[in-house]
Formats: sequence, C-alpha cells, structure tokens
Amino acid sequence: MDFSLISSNILSPPVLFFFLGMLAVLLKSDLEIPQPLPKLFSLYLLFAIGFKGGIELVKSGVNQEVALTLLAAIIMACFVPVYTFFILKAKLDTYNAAAIAATYGSISAVTFITASSFLQELGIDFDGFMVAALALMESPAIIVGLVLVNLFTADRESGNQINWPEVLQEAFLNSSVFLLVGSLIIGVLTGTHGEEVLKPFSQGIFYGVLTFFLLDMGLVAARRLRDLSKTGPFLIAFSVVIPLLNATLGILIAKVIGMSQGDALLFAVLCASASYIAVPAAMRLTVPEANPSLYVTTALALTFPFNIIVGIPLYLYGIQFLWR
Amino acid sequence: MHAVKRVEIIANSSELAKILEGLNAAGAPGYTVIRNVTGKGIMGNISDDEVTTLSNVYVLCYCAEDKIKPIVEAIRPILNKFGGVCYVSDAMEIRSVRCVSHL
Repeated sequence: MDFSLISSNILSPPVLFFFLGMLAVLLKSDLEIPQPLPKLFSLYLLFAIGFKGGIELVKSGVNQEVALTLLAAIIMACFVPVYTFFILKAKLDTYNAAAIAATYGSISAVTFITASSFLQELGIDFDGFMVAALALMESPAIIVGLVLVNLFTADRESGNQINWPEVLQEAFLNSSVFLLVGSLIIGVLTGTHGEEVLKPFSQGIFYGVLTFFLLDMGLVAARRLRDLSKTGPFLIAFSVVIPLLNATLGILIAKVIGMSQGDALLFAVLCASASYIAVPAAMRLTVPEANPSLYVTTALALTFPFNIIVGIPLYLYGIQFLWR
Repeated sequence: MHAVKRVEIIANSSELAKILEGLNAAGAPGYTVIRNVTGKGIMGNISDDEVTTLSNVYVLCYCAEDKIKPIVEAIRPILNKFGGVCYVSDAMEIRSVRCVSHL
C-alpha cells in the first residue's frame, strides 16, 4: 500500500479543515458557520462542478466510452439500493432498510468534488462527462428505494399509497440535481466563452469554497457522531464495508469499460458514496416511517469521512495497481 | 384589543410546504415562518444544519376562533404522518391596522 497517497490526501487543506471542524465540536469550541452560508457554499460547488463539466463535455465530445460510462452509472445507481436493501433487511424493518439502501445507491457530490480536487493536485486527468454520471446517479436510487417500500410493505398496499408525482418531483427536480444539470447544460451551451467569462468565479475561488464548506461538514459530521449509539454495530460496519464493496465493483466496471485512471477514481467514488442531501429530503417526505438519524448518521458521520480521508486514496491505489 | 387564537407549529422543514398549503386551505389569514429552529424533541436534539435538509421550522399563525377547527383538521394529518407538534392558545390582538390607517 502506497501511504504517500493517504498522507497527501490527509494533508490537503480541505481534508485538514474537515478535521478542524470535527475537532471544534469534539473540544466544545463555539465555532459555528452561520446559516444559510453552508447552503450557499453547497450551491456554489454544484454550480462550479456542473458548469466546468459542461465545458469539458464540449471539449471531449460524446463517444462510446461516454455512453458506456453513463449507462454503467445508471445501472449501479439502481443495483446498489436493491442488493443493500436485502442485506439491511436482515436487521432492520422495510422502511429503514429501503431508506438506507436509497441513501447508499445515491451519491455525495461533495465526495466527488473532493476526489476531483485530489486528482487535480496529483496532476491526474479526468473527463468532464463524469459530472453527467454524477447527475444521473443522484435520482434513480430514490425511485428504487420507494419501489422497494411499495413491494415489501403490506401497509402501503392497504391504502397508504406513495404520491408518485411528488416522488418524481423530489427525485428529478430537487435543488441539487436541478442546479447541477442546469449548470452542465449552460456549460455546454456557452463553452470556452463561458469559461473565460466566469473563470475567476467558477475556478478562482473554487478550492477555497470547497475548503470552507468542508470545515462546516466537519462540524455537522461531528455533531452527528452523537447519534452513532442509535445506529448500532451492524450499521457502523455496513457504512464502512459497503462503500469498499461498491468502490471495488465500480473499479472493476471502469476497468471493463476502459476508463482512464482519473475517470475510474471518480466512478468508484460515485459508487462508494452515500447521499446526505437529496435522498434524506426525499425520504423524509415519502418514507416518514424511516428514522432519519439512521440514514443521515451513517452517510454523513461515517461513510463521508471514511471516503474523503481513507477511501479516495485507497481506491486510487487499487486503480493504479489494476491499471499497471 | 380583541381575542384571537395563536397556533404554533414546530415541524421538519421538509413538511413546510404541506403545512402552509393546509393553513391556506383552512383559511388562515396569515402566518410567520422561522427557519433553522433548534432544540430538543422526542427524536432527540434537533440540529439547524441545512446541509442535511432535516432542520426544523417554526410556524406561527394568529386567527379568529372559528378558523381553529379547519386549521387543526388540515394540520393534524400532516403532523400524524411526518411528525411535529402543534399548540393552540389564547392571545390578544392590538388592532394595529386601524391605528396605522388613522395616522
């Protein structure tokens, strides 16, 4: 194992500021980021990554590799919630199992952005169309999760039906998907002209905003650590083992498709990450029977830090080993 | 001054649209919404982080007594399904609109 990858990741400013945020909570500092600034930062990051992805998509064009990658992304977003649901059903009720499965089938945009920053620091290229994969993987898991609830819950059959227009609205038009896809399209439409005009805003301050956002994520994740007692050892193990398994599947698929090392890492990170923004909002509305402290805590307090601290360099090590 | 009823609702932010829809449908004359409300409830401590979109909201509504029944009927099923609390109490309203009109 190449520990220099882990150390270069840990010693990057965003990850160090994530630790600083966690430390602030653990040491009971009064450090706080006033609302709704973190919301603005997350919107900025989605805009910047979507816009840049659109510009890169114009440069790279659409070919067979792009089509295969996007297809693989949709398949993984549908497959992960199904198989994890049956694992979770061994210990949890259908509602909680489906909500957590949907969470892990969807993706974390911030983990993706952190991984792309990590690649940029190492000078490893990746393609802009991976942002399209990010956008495509956010929503299917919500739909699959709700189909699973419908199929495996007798209560739903007896009249408590899912409001599908509301579900589809939340899945495909929630703020993060809408802004990401919208920015991607604007990036495609404006191309290099748009890149020049917005460069100071979309690229100049990107790394700083990511760093500051991760400081807030450290605060939020550490506050969620208190809820770990509710999740129990099964879910704690699940939230570390499943990302590793999903990343391995993602890396193998990337190898079969013939992705570059950079694209393979981003795809692995998408497969391994869990949503703590779009899916919790959708699940809260559509599966209120599920306990948010289970699906948010596992995704945010365990899987997210695991991925950005250890997962990203570990997956890259695996990719470099396989691609040798 | 005249007697009115005060309706206070504390619920998850994702339920806000439904709650406001219910208040409008029940004929509530107006309401105030405070976001990122923290505290402690039966589910434990409530955080105000918007990142997870699971922060709470506080909805305050003053109305005439005859509006209380339709408001409670509209809000109860929403809170039953998604969780949250609703309190109704007595209040006195100063007829401030009339004061302004006399200025």
